[in-house]
Amino acid sequence: MKIDAGESHLRRVSHWKLYFVLLTGMLVLVFIFSLNIGFSHIPFDNILKILAKNVPILGDLVDFSGVSEVQESIIIHIRLPRVLGGALVGVALAVAGVTYQGIFRNPMADPYTIGAMGGASFGAAVAIVLGVGVALLGVNTVPIFAFVGALGAVFLVYVISREGSRVPVTTLILSGLTVTIFFNALVTYLKLIAGDKLHALTFWIMGGFTYTNWTDVSSILPLIIIGTAIVYLYARDLNILVLGEEQAQHLGVELEKVKKILLASGALMTAAAVSISGLIGFVGLIIPHLTRILIGPDHRILLPTSAIVGASFMMICDALARVIIAPSELPVGVITAVSGGPFFIYLLRRKRRGYTVR
Amino acid sequence: MVRLTIDGINCYYGSVKILEDIQFAVKSGKFLGILGPNGSGKTTLLKSISRILKPRKGTILIGDLDIYNMKTVEVAKQLAVVPQSTPVTFDFTALEVVLMGRNPHMSRFAMESKEDMAIAKNSMKLTNTWKFADRPVTELSGGERQRVIIARALTQEPKILLLDEPTTHLDISNQLEIMDLIKCLCKTKKLLIVAVFHDFNLAARYCDSIILLNDGKIVAVGKSSETLTSENVRKVFGVDTIVKKHPVTGFFHVIPISRPINQQQKSLSIHLICGCASGSPLMKILKDEGYFVTAGVLNLLDTDQETAQLLKIPTTSEAPFSPITEEAHTANLKMISKANVLVITPTQFGDGNLRNLNAAETALKEGIPTILLEDGSIEERDFTNGKATKYLTKLKNNGAITVKNTSELLHLLDKLENKNNKNSHQKKEP
Repeated sequence: MKIDAGESHLRRVSHWKLYFVLLTGMLVLVFIFSLNIGFSHIPFDNILKILAKNVPILGDLVDFSGVSEVQESIIIHIRLPRVLGGALVGVALAVAGVTYQGIFRNPMADPYTIGAMGGASFGAAVAIVLGVGVALLGVNTVPIFAFVGALGAVFLVYVISREGSRVPVTTLILSGLTVTIFFNALVTYLKLIAGDKLHALTFWIMGGFTYTNWTDVSSILPLIIIGTAIVYLYARDLNILVLGEEQAQHLGVELEKVKKILLASGALMTAAAVSISGLIGFVGLIIPHLTRILIGPDHRILLPTSAIVGASFMMICDALARVIIAPSELPVGVITAVSGGPFFIYLLRRKRRGYTVR
Repeated sequence: MVRLTIDGINCYYGSVKILEDIQFAVKSGKFLGILGPNGSGKTTLLKSISRILKPRKGTILIGDLDIYNMKTVEVAKQLAVVPQSTPVTFDFTALEVVLMGRNPHMSRFAMESKEDMAIAKNSMKLTNTWKFADRPVTELSGGERQRVIIARALTQEPKILLLDEPTTHLDISNQLEIMDLIKCLCKTKKLLIVAVFHDFNLAARYCDSIILLNDGKIVAVGKSSETLTSENVRKVFGVDTIVKKHPVTGFFHVIPISRPINQQQKSLSIHLICGCASGSPLMKILKDEGYFVTAGVLNLLDTDQETAQLLKIPTTSEAPFSPITEEAHTANLKMISKANVLVITPTQFGDGNLRNLNAAETALKEGIPTILLEDGSIEERDFTNGKATKYLTKLKNNGAITVKNTSELLHLLDKLENKNNKNSHQKKEP
């Protein structure tokens, strides 16, 4: 019997929940395994106990024997912020990638290629060099500076590459890269004049989560939650944008408003990510692709699942960065690029006909 | 019942004025076509009506409401647009794209309901796209994709449908199928349709009324048959056309006549003896070459007579299906006497038009060069028991020249033209 197309569509939609649950399960597993990786060996049951202890109510019920204070300290103060920071950055970059690809209707758009990362890194570098890191009213200002930089860069790229009502692939990528190179040059200049801040700046530029602490996590957590929530509000608008800007308007999308909100949200999340982990490439590009192949292009499911896949991917990469040349560490950006690059080329070859790149 | 009023709008791109003082109104159940040359402002007008390009002056009203004061979503509930083509980047299925049409009717967090699905299914059935509802739009052909986009527009359940050359990229069967569907929706569901056309014949076939645009201004507006005249088409497009009601379809057809390459007037005047469409192509060719052409005697309603009329070629004519009378014959002789050359086309001869050969004989005697265009044996088109054949043989014997095809004829005429020019020079000099 031939299956009705409407039913098969509805069935596909009902599978969304299943995928979501499965991927969330994966996320939790990756999370716990990541906590297990490190110089000193801490068994899984101890990790679970330490985690449970810090949950209200549940903590009182846990038998805490066999867990040393040192182990607890390592998990809570070193590994947990690091793993959570990685997960949050993964979420931020993946969601920003989905957002930019949706707005520009362009599978090559991501926080890096459209210049947001370049702008954010310049903003963050300015904050570090000025030494206003955590000084201003006790708020971590690095993400704020990064946000201003990212926002500026994205709007600059958008204005440069816009031709009438559309944003062609080539001009978008070219102007994105141009703006990135421009901001990179500014960052290089900042290094020259950094003086005693050079050390901090260099560590930050190298990227990664080696020194990520709870302050970092708590300063970007609200930004990423807000950014993701805002983008999710406009998930259906992102779907409709695939038909082009004019048709989106004909279908009731308030284009200019939506575009500004989404560009800004993408910049916000890029800035949050860059402010704690420096430049990490490829995540915003490949995670949306990978997830789209898994569950399709509908942003209502693509956004949350990309967030989960992005978080998992980033935690895995960071874990690899810790173990490959242990006891030394690789910069996590190296792992994402080395694993992401070939994978992306494979995707391009495999899915080429699926994309009508204009 | 809805009414779309365009009230004196001026539109600009930057500082360039694209539309000037456009004014018209359409109501439910009517199909309005917009025609005009490239750059005349057709698409701009559609953009303006679809709330993309706000006019600097004037208003666009749906009912009593100015669309630029309405919310995007409210306009989307009333008005759907089908563009020329829709590039789609990601692999959404056809059904998913069609369901996007429900967007203006859904709240921000709602998922598509059973009812939304039913509406989408219905419009996909109508546009014959349901059979590939599950396929990614990126894999569909241009025609299939365009039908999906039309299904999407119908799923919006609009009262007004705007189409921008919706069938430009489609083959003839898709064109007719889609336009038939739109026409049908216009009549049965009382949709108000405004469509930009490139193709006169498609417009003439489907539109109740037509607006002709040129340089951003309305040149003509009214019923298709009143607007699509060859005068209007010449005024707007600068192209000569034949506008005729087709005997089989009953629709108006606009047939462009190719522009003459050489418009230099030549000195020779050529008279054609033709009939039954044997002279029509030749008339056009000779006129384009710059010759002065006359023809006769032709029966009214004969194709050659109609062609001559369209090309403004003077003729002597006779009543339909009647033998040539003495009166027409005399008039024809008079016309021939003014010509420099007489050309006899390979037409059929019957007792009705045999007199034309008699006229040719007279012309030859008077020294007018006579050319016989022959593409086969005379016997096959002689319905006079050999009388015509006898005439033609006699003409040949008396010095009429035979040519086998048009290029030979043109070559010969060229020679005669040169000779004629020389003669007139010599006459002038003394």
